[in-house]
Amino acid sequence: MKQYGMIINLDRCVGCHACAVACRAEWQVPTREGYRRNWVHRLGPANTSHGMSFTFYPGLCNHCDSPACVPVCPADTVEMTFRDPESGKTKTMEVAATWKDPFNGTVQIDQSRCLGCGACRDACPYGARYVNTEVANEDIGGEGIADKCTFCMPRVEKGLAPACVQTCITDARIFGVVNDPKSEVAAYIRKGARRLESAAVRIGPNVYYFGKPRDLELLDRTSTPQEMPEAADRRRMLASLMQPAMRRMQTAGLLGLAGAMAVQGLAAEEDE
Amino acid sequence: MNRRHFLKMSTATAVAMAASTAGLPGGKGLFRAARAGTLPIAPQGSMGARETTSVCEMCFWRCPIVGKVRDGKLIKIEGNSRSPVNGRRVCARGNSGVQLLYDPDRIKYPMKRVGARGEGKWARISWDEALDEIAHNMDKVRKKYGPHALAFFDHGASAEHLRKIFINLGTENYTSEPAFFQCVGPAALAYLETVGYITTGTRQYNDMANARAMLLVGSHIGENIHVSHVREFIAGLQNGAKLVVVDPRFSTAAGKADIHLAIRPGTDTALMLAWINYVITHNLYDKRFVANHCQGFDALKKEVSGYSMEWAARICDLRIEDMKAAIELLAKASPQVNIHPGRHSTWYGRGDVGRHQSYAILTALFGAIGVPGGIYFPSPVPLGHVECVAEKSEKVAPIEPEVSLREDSAYPFSSNFGTVTADIIKAINTGKPYPIRLLGINGVNVIQTIPDPYETMKALKSLDFIFCEEIMAGETAIWSDIILPDAVYLERYDGVYAYDGLTPYVTVRQPVVEPLFEARSPYWIAKNLAKRLDIPGFTCPDERAFIAKELEGVDYSLSQLNKEGGLMTLPADPYRKPDKLKLDTASGKVNLQVEDFEDEDLDPIPKFEPTPAPPKGYARLIYGRSPVHTFSRTMNNLWLHNEIPENKLWLNDRVARQLGIKDNEEVVLENQDGKRSNPVRVLVTPGIRPDAVYMAHGFGSKSPLLSRAHGKGAADGFMMTRNEEDPFMGATSKRTNFVRIIRGGKPLAIPDLCPVPDEIPRYTIKSA
Repeated sequence: MKQYGMIINLDRCVGCHACAVACRAEWQVPTREGYRRNWVHRLGPANTSHGMSFTFYPGLCNHCDSPACVPVCPADTVEMTFRDPESGKTKTMEVAATWKDPFNGTVQIDQSRCLGCGACRDACPYGARYVNTEVANEDIGGEGIADKCTFCMPRVEKGLAPACVQTCITDARIFGVVNDPKSEVAAYIRKGARRLESAAVRIGPNVYYFGKPRDLELLDRTSTPQEMPEAADRRRMLASLMQPAMRRMQTAGLLGLAGAMAVQGLAAEEDE
Repeated sequence: MNRRHFLKMSTATAVAMAASTAGLPGGKGLFRAARAGTLPIAPQGSMGARETTSVCEMCFWRCPIVGKVRDGKLIKIEGNSRSPVNGRRVCARGNSGVQLLYDPDRIKYPMKRVGARGEGKWARISWDEALDEIAHNMDKVRKKYGPHALAFFDHGASAEHLRKIFINLGTENYTSEPAFFQCVGPAALAYLETVGYITTGTRQYNDMANARAMLLVGSHIGENIHVSHVREFIAGLQNGAKLVVVDPRFSTAAGKADIHLAIRPGTDTALMLAWINYVITHNLYDKRFVANHCQGFDALKKEVSGYSMEWAARICDLRIEDMKAAIELLAKASPQVNIHPGRHSTWYGRGDVGRHQSYAILTALFGAIGVPGGIYFPSPVPLGHVECVAEKSEKVAPIEPEVSLREDSAYPFSSNFGTVTADIIKAINTGKPYPIRLLGINGVNVIQTIPDPYETMKALKSLDFIFCEEIMAGETAIWSDIILPDAVYLERYDGVYAYDGLTPYVTVRQPVVEPLFEARSPYWIAKNLAKRLDIPGFTCPDERAFIAKELEGVDYSLSQLNKEGGLMTLPADPYRKPDKLKLDTASGKVNLQVEDFEDEDLDPIPKFEPTPAPPKGYARLIYGRSPVHTFSRTMNNLWLHNEIPENKLWLNDRVARQLGIKDNEEVVLENQDGKRSNPVRVLVTPGIRPDAVYMAHGFGSKSPLLSRAHGKGAADGFMMTRNEEDPFMGATSKRTNFVRIIRGGKPLAIPDLCPVPDEIPRYTIKSA
């Protein structure tokens, strides 16, 4: 499997926020509190053991090796066939409304099946997801739609760079294949680019940061998650409530998820 | 199951079936993706949208861009891939032009004030009414008080045509740019007189990408974002250049520096002169370059001989080892050394020209002129001459004022650049040397720009008539009698843009979308106003006609340019071989000693004159730029506001600890004259000296017509009630104000953690 990843070179980054804004423009991300696929946090100036640092945390979804957000999705699973455009190979898997792509390693969302329950958002130690409650898949009882960085797969598939990489005014962001030793990304990893991981959070993020020891120390101190979050009880309850209805409908045949939700509503009315 | 239930179910099923055939992910899954009719589809991105090339105006750097339009709506802005300076890249502001265009607070129609001036009450009027009223008032004021009673404050691309109206009405008060007198003036004059050209004007001809070492004094590249400039800076660093940053604050650039010198504010020239002395006495200068290309070396050597490193260390509050290491590091790289000329230089009034002169002198001593890595020469782009836009008309008989505000200014070097902005404000308030009764304003917030803002507001209140041409109703607009809605750069043609730096090119601003509401282009506005005032010379039917004339100079047409991606590149000629180096000064050489200054009884070689230190209990207020904002213009922009909605007050961590102030706590500032700021949150950091506080400029707008920006953060400008005028050209100082902190209504004295040497006087506060 190929794994896409990104290098952020803090020696080049000046914290101009072009990445965050270009992402918002490209994917029409609303500006409500916490709604973003891509962000820049300004860190310092603060003292470190290597001297003073004024650096930045340009963040986005890490498309982790073992994403915490994927297994918590309560949406009913569907069988999905993935195809590797390079080899033509296919792979069929059962996936919920979010999954890790078996050929490029990106974590994706089928927004048309998202319930907006927020379990994935809560599970991510990096805060990479948000739930847009301005929209919802009402037909399946959704209360919002989860969103996050896709590594700009629709652009990458057309041969374009991710929007944040394209606009980066100092070429501080490098997108590529982590596990291809010939890639620039891999070269940076060999040079010491590092992941934001701690003893308790080791899920294999694929965004790597390169920079001076003082800047990496400040980044690590302020931005590396120190514990795996627990999905909130409400989400878990919601997820467990959803499950029986889905299973019920699975047995009902070919109506589809939407049909399942419609019937669930019907059942509720009949109970009255 | 009743019928309603059945319909609901079957509709949902049908939608699910339709979705499955529409190629959604899912393949042959049992459960199809479902969408209800009201649901949004996943955003499709900007791929495939129609692209029009143009030029950005979110700041004055003017990067080549493309606007991407779908269904008649601008959805995204990217860099023009043909551009040698930015390619597909644009900064946060460039990206956010979309939200300037669609800002709901935009001025949509011509508006007339109906309440008291400054009250912010408006009525919509027609263009005819608006232009008639402006013409009537210009004519009336001119007849009653003479032509010089009209004045124009301007900045940016929109202003050029309207300026022609003022010129043709015969006033001498038309080139009065805060961009000069409140910004680049001292640096521009220093370089003009020392090396014969303005190395740091709208463009900056310093070759950082090829430098082996760089010196920034106060320049905060990285927070000050001009895309190609930042790219060259980072390219230099990535190529291994060493970096010395002199700044009381630990800036973004300081974060990338090999040596950061956290200098006492106001003492930069002391450091520079000690370094120049050190370079001369330690034979670190380029003797051949000095012998062949400089005049005044002996006088310089003598003049700086008294400035020792030991003395400077005390004055500047720096460690002598660090000062020595820094100058040695710079000298080692010569001549590929970039002494950045700076830009915003109206810091302390007295000494501002001399400070930048000292950068030019050090550049020359290192032989870093016309060589890679140093300062270089612009490559002129021969644009065609445009006759259809009015020059000064023969019809206007010049009326010389008895005492000219411009020519008889107290500042010997101001008149070539315009009328001193602060003198215009004074003339309005005093009626001397003659009354100024009407003001036109375009693209500049005079209130947050020209100190003292309270004097400026007093002046605005007293005028007979004020009109402005603006996109957003900032603080200046709310004082106007008539507001004209300017077209956003994305809605209009402008002139041809020629870049004369290391990679010259020619490109054109052209509309990406049709103007919204009743916005009109600056040329249309000027042409229609000219008609009413009987001013000849706006003979081009539209902007395309004069763009065509300008492009003739490089043998191109607009259609040809557009066929080739909207941009053509030209060869560069930035460097000079030693035998070909001739500077555009009287001697053809670098003036280490400037005779023009001596002729006016000003110092021909810079001297260190201390600016007063903060009074006890106060810190000096310094300011800079937010990387996502331009001046006070972009704070209302949806996307930029979302990134950085308000500024923060940088406060030294030791000071904060002594005062018991916590990070992110809200405080108010009070300056030496008792003026108080909006509340502002504190950033507690070791990255600012204890004797200074810092905040980004342009926040804290007082305009209620900017719904997002209004009252967010604090305005440095409203703290600037004390200024000193630069004796060369009358530029006004902006770093001569002192503040203390007000918490819970009570003043807190800033502890005195940086002892002031005897040579530096302290400012004393007049007792009330």
